[in-house]
Amino acid sequence: MFSLNHQLELKKIAVSSLITCIYLPSIVTVISYKGILYSIGKSSSFYVLVLIFIAELLKSFYLNSNVQTKKYKGNRNRAGDIVKAFVFLLGVIFCFFVGIILFGAPVLESHDETLMLSTLLTLLTVFPLIALTGVEASMQLLFGVKNFSRDTVIEMLVNNALLTVCGAWLGAVVIPLDWNTPWQQWPIPCYLGAIGGYVFSNVLSVVKITMMSAANKYPVLNFFVSVLNKFNLSK
Amino acid sequence: MLSWLQHRWIGLWLLLMALGALMLFFYGFFPLKYHSGKLARMDDLPNFIDGVSIDGQEVYNAGENSVVLMVIDGLRYDFASEEYMPFTGELLKNKSACIYVSVAEPPTVTMPRIKAMMTGSISTFADVALNFGAPAVRGDSVLRVASVRGRRSVLYGDDTWLRLFPGLWAEYDGTTSFYVTDYTEVDNNVTRHLDKVLTPDDDKEPTFDFLVLHYLGLDHIGHLEGARSPKIKPKLIEMDEVVKKIYIAMQTWDRTGVLIVCGDHGMRDAGGHGGATPAEVLIPLVVVKSGDFQCPHPRGPGPTVKQVDVATTVAWLLRAPPPGDSAGRVLPALLPADTRQHLYLLHALAAHCARHGLPTDTEFYKQFKRAEKQFAQYLATGQMSAAKIAKEFYDESLEAMSKYLTETTGEFDLFAISFATILLYIIAASLLCATLYSLQPDIRKPSTHHQPSTASLFVAFMIMFIIFSGVLVISCFITETKSQFCSFDPLWSIAFFGTVFALTVVYFVIKTGIETITDMSALRDLNAIDYLLIGGTLFHSWSFFGTSFIEEEHMTWYFFWNTLMFFVLIRTIVVIVMYFSKRLSRATEIQEKPELEQRMSSVGISILPKWVILIALHRYLRTMNQTGDRWLFLPDTADWLNAPENVFYLQAHLIIGTLSTLGICLWNVRHMNNSVHIHTALTIAAACSILCYRIAAGALDSPFPILKTWDTVTIVNIFWGILIAQLIYEILTYVGIFKNCGCSPNQNVNKFEYKKPKAKSEDYFYEPMDEPWNIDDVKLSLARSLSHIILNDLMLIIILLMRPHNVIMVPSVIATCSLTSKCLDHRLLDSRPGRGKDIADLISQTLVHIWIGMVFFFYQGNSNSLASVDLGAGYVGLSEYCAVRVGARMGLHAYAAPALAAAALHCRLARTHQWKRYLASVWRVSNIYALHRVYTLAVYCVVAVVFRHHLFVWSVFSPKLLYDFVATVFSIQALTTIAQIVLLTSLTSWLARIFTYKSTL
Repeated sequence: MFSLNHQLELKKIAVSSLITCIYLPSIVTVISYKGILYSIGKSSSFYVLVLIFIAELLKSFYLNSNVQTKKYKGNRNRAGDIVKAFVFLLGVIFCFFVGIILFGAPVLESHDETLMLSTLLTLLTVFPLIALTGVEASMQLLFGVKNFSRDTVIEMLVNNALLTVCGAWLGAVVIPLDWNTPWQQWPIPCYLGAIGGYVFSNVLSVVKITMMSAANKYPVLNFFVSVLNKFNLSK
Repeated sequence: MLSWLQHRWIGLWLLLMALGALMLFFYGFFPLKYHSGKLARMDDLPNFIDGVSIDGQEVYNAGENSVVLMVIDGLRYDFASEEYMPFTGELLKNKSACIYVSVAEPPTVTMPRIKAMMTGSISTFADVALNFGAPAVRGDSVLRVASVRGRRSVLYGDDTWLRLFPGLWAEYDGTTSFYVTDYTEVDNNVTRHLDKVLTPDDDKEPTFDFLVLHYLGLDHIGHLEGARSPKIKPKLIEMDEVVKKIYIAMQTWDRTGVLIVCGDHGMRDAGGHGGATPAEVLIPLVVVKSGDFQCPHPRGPGPTVKQVDVATTVAWLLRAPPPGDSAGRVLPALLPADTRQHLYLLHALAAHCARHGLPTDTEFYKQFKRAEKQFAQYLATGQMSAAKIAKEFYDESLEAMSKYLTETTGEFDLFAISFATILLYIIAASLLCATLYSLQPDIRKPSTHHQPSTASLFVAFMIMFIIFSGVLVISCFITETKSQFCSFDPLWSIAFFGTVFALTVVYFVIKTGIETITDMSALRDLNAIDYLLIGGTLFHSWSFFGTSFIEEEHMTWYFFWNTLMFFVLIRTIVVIVMYFSKRLSRATEIQEKPELEQRMSSVGISILPKWVILIALHRYLRTMNQTGDRWLFLPDTADWLNAPENVFYLQAHLIIGTLSTLGICLWNVRHMNNSVHIHTALTIAAACSILCYRIAAGALDSPFPILKTWDTVTIVNIFWGILIAQLIYEILTYVGIFKNCGCSPNQNVNKFEYKKPKAKSEDYFYEPMDEPWNIDDVKLSLARSLSHIILNDLMLIIILLMRPHNVIMVPSVIATCSLTSKCLDHRLLDSRPGRGKDIADLISQTLVHIWIGMVFFFYQGNSNSLASVDLGAGYVGLSEYCAVRVGARMGLHAYAAPALAAAALHCRLARTHQWKRYLASVWRVSNIYALHRVYTLAVYCVVAVVFRHHLFVWSVFSPKLLYDFVATVFSIQALTTIAQIVLLTSLTSWLARIFTYKSTL
């Protein structure tokens, strides 16, 4: 997937993925160390979302920080963009909310939890895209109208988003099992699954980039790179 | 042998073989009733305790007793409380009665429970299947020992008792137990005898020794309305009155009277039973004794006993020896106060158990021996301390013994099981070959010069047959199995060589398949959704290695179905957004890419909102019935709808469901020969009779009170008449009868007429005589119209059978089928422009219809427990019990959704334009169906073998096996129906050749 042509982009991706691989697991570790891991889906754990929001925002600043800023955004009204992005994000949260309920979340109760989950999903999937490219472009990207095969950063973000949704989806598998553990409560498995999918995707990117740069020396590694490319869902 | 692979119904034949293999598996897995054949005699009672002599018969004597066993069908533990049964509660409160928690073994179905209570041994699981047949008990039972000892046994109630123990009753009046819609008359038939039978004769002695009263009403209410029905309370008060009556009568007797009130099994909140949940397994057992009886137990829920203890207790009270196979004990409250008698009784029971062939090196056997020593010491010296120790030892060893005996009653015939499993696997492999063969895009006719002669094929077949039988016989002898399968008596030999025959056939199918399958290019057209379908189907069978995935199978299906809907949603959104953006931004490109336009125009933009609505509909239907095991107790929409205050919404569901089904039927009518709107009229009449039935059954209000008084049985008979008339009319039109009669009803609709195409008639010289006629077209339209008639009839029958809140499922199944087939079309989803992707389409269509069937199977409230089988549906429109009709109705009701989905798929296949193409697709689809079924069976048989010693083997694994068996039978039935349609088309065209040709030529 990634080509070696854009060394700068690759470096950026590697750094941002590494940051993700560090900050998300450390949030989860701290929470579980405090013994409040199982309250993660409740509205009391809103601070987690705030932390993730800040982290993603900083990451997007980092990714945007160079010459290529112009590539994604023209000279537009910043404030108007922010408002638009905010409204769009709310819409996405609502879509996620309705979708999750349609696919089996409780209808009449635990709206808080479902809302938290949909916010998390939005933060991890759509928000980085919007922060990077703006509303219109990200919409076009999401629906595959615009081709992004040249753009490694966006490719990584889309891949992240897909794996996040997959993680949340797979998290639901454990809910019906009869183990009667506290973490089988709605929406903890999906919540952690989403985070897990996101981290997994980032780990993949880091490993892949490392491998690719190492493959110059050791051509054997090209095999692993091609294996890792199979995990890339965005194609 | 290539002709076998090309045979159109090879799937059906192989499925039949798989059914045979499954039966062999069942034979090995469910041993029919294990009984030693030992008949108990009074002389069996031990006369020496460790060398000290004692007069067994005299000490065993319990005195003159009259025992009343009152069985209330479906009485679960919480029903025997003061709230429901005030008099009984009063007795329990002042300790003149004792209550026990009695534990029934699954399957919690009436017949095995009666057997357990009377023989004292645990019955096997196969009894569920025989529950309807109820063959006589051949082993020993309380009733046999009692009648040998000259006791008078009397029965009023369920006639299952009569069929189980024929000829052992002095007096009886049986009521049939299977007619569940009646819950007053069955009980009145029992109670009306009470006054007479309870009145003692002139010596103040009761006229019987053992009276059995079996009340069915409670269970019937449970089946019809569930355990929270408002009818439960009056019924239990009625039962309480009976208890009071018997109690008062017992005080007037000169003899000791003992009344045992118990249930045979409990019931779930939904009203079913058969499984192993506490609500079904735990039942109350109340013991009342006349005279100054004082319950020794503290007040409260009471100690736990086994249900089989009833047998031993009653036998002892009747002064008869414990029945030969019994493994129970005497209820603690009834044990005699005299220490010597008490100990002797314990000793006799322990010795009785020990005679069942217990291993002597176990701890409980040693404990028994120690107890015996202490007892002998007590007898010799009269030390109370020895007696106390003996009692403790006896209790411990008895408990361990009966536990051991109940756990080891079943023995598996491992040879039959493993052979059947291997056979199933090989059949699955051959079906895989057949399916892959049929999935080749164009099947070439075998080249003629390679073709070996028939005789050589026969010789090859015989040689393989002999080799296989040799291998099987040798394996019989090598394994030294005791299996009946290897016994070589005449009947079993037939089965033996039948399986060898099947093995040979399957061998040749696989061999030819491997040789001839060359072209697998069709599989390259599969897209991501196809892979999801195939992978999900394959994985689902293996998920059964976890017990909770069997209990919660619906969760697996819901998850798969959600994933599928999600995928399709994303794909449709992508396609539509792409289409619009291209259209809006660069209008020229749309002209360059005509295939995108084509893809869109086949479904239209409305597919997206429709699909979202479908997702919402499924979300709603999923909440309709809670099923499975873990969340069964949660209230669901069905509970809410059935509450009396929400009756309006329930009726709305009923009417919407019925009317939309009618709409779909009328829409389907266009595929039939609807001349003068006869089919329309008949369909509407049938739907009206269904509504009339609902009104007469009280499920629906109507402005016309006269409708309420109509007889439901008559209405349903009229309904059947309409359906049959529709079918016959259709076939007759095809034969062309009406034309011969002078009236030609199908003048304007000429699509079903036999006619010569004009272009062809010119060169008749080159064609054989019957070629110019459009026979194939007519055959196809007959097949099409028959399949639609069958779909319509199925829908109508099923909405007749369904519970009111479930009627909505029927139109939903059809809507889901049609919308999903539209969305899964490869032309819409694939980004590459498609060439002919018919075969990939067929695979995905077949699998998705199987999925839809399974998903709705669970939406409807079914599960893998026997308790969720709806008995009430079996009696719609029947006035008396008839095993075949009731069974067919119950089966159709349970498997309604898979049947509907399959019928819808067949209709879809029949809507093509070429007869040849129709036949080919039917061939492919039936192969895939059969492969799926046999694959599931084979994997599940392995699961059952691996877990045969699992704790849940009888409560979780075995019911699923029965469900699989029924599903296999229904698959065979479905394929046979399609085969019959094809046969019927040929037959009709043959008839038409006789009638129509001559008249019009």
